[in-house]
Amino acid sequence: MAEPACVIGNGIQVRGNLSGSGDLVVEGRVEGHVSLEDHMTVEESGTVVADVETKELTINGQMSGNVDASDRVAILQTAVVTGDIKAPRVVIEDGARFRGSIEMEVPLPADI
Amino acid sequence: MANTIIGSSIVIDGEITGEEDLVIQGTVKGKIQLKESLYVEESGSVEADIETQNVDISGQVTGNITASDKVELKSQCRMVGDIKAPRILIADGASFKGNVDMDV
Repeated sequence: MAEPACVIGNGIQVRGNLSGSGDLVVEGRVEGHVSLEDHMTVEESGTVVADVETKELTINGQMSGNVDASDRVAILQTAVVTGDIKAPRVVIEDGARFRGSIEMEVPLPADI
Repeated sequence: MANTIIGSSIVIDGEITGEEDLVIQGTVKGKIQLKESLYVEESGSVEADIETQNVDISGQVTGNITASDKVELKSQCRMVGDIKAPRILIADGASFKGNVDMDV
């Protein structure tokens, strides 16, 4: 795996707007707004209190906020997530805790 | 090697605080408060007030720096702002404009 463009380590807190291209790994704490063109990973030790716009999001840690992903959101076993998720593909693993709504943009049949 | 890296394609507008080393290759605006070392690499650009133990600058910094130990301006760096630290090193080739306060 290629070295991620940005790592927020365990002892670091970021408050404000974070934007850019390249992958982001959060092991510490991020508050505010995140807008990325690539993959964001919240590790088990990571906490994110932010609205996130990204392509792909993988959550192992704690996250609170709304997510708008253009490709995929994965909420893995150790994750605790609250907020609304909008993405074409959403995966929730066994053991993960989630509260909020999910919108997958499914084309509904015309008669509903 | 430090744990936290702000990569060259990343822009942060806000506040960074923490207890470990931070490497900046991208852009940070706002405020940085650390208990350890801050490294601004050649591609890095910082517009922020900085409060930390050590600062090592090879890139661009605009803002005031308060360091509890050492500030080092490397030869390619461009720095505008005031520096307050017990030890300050400026390498040949560095551009710097501002006040220096070594607490003499």
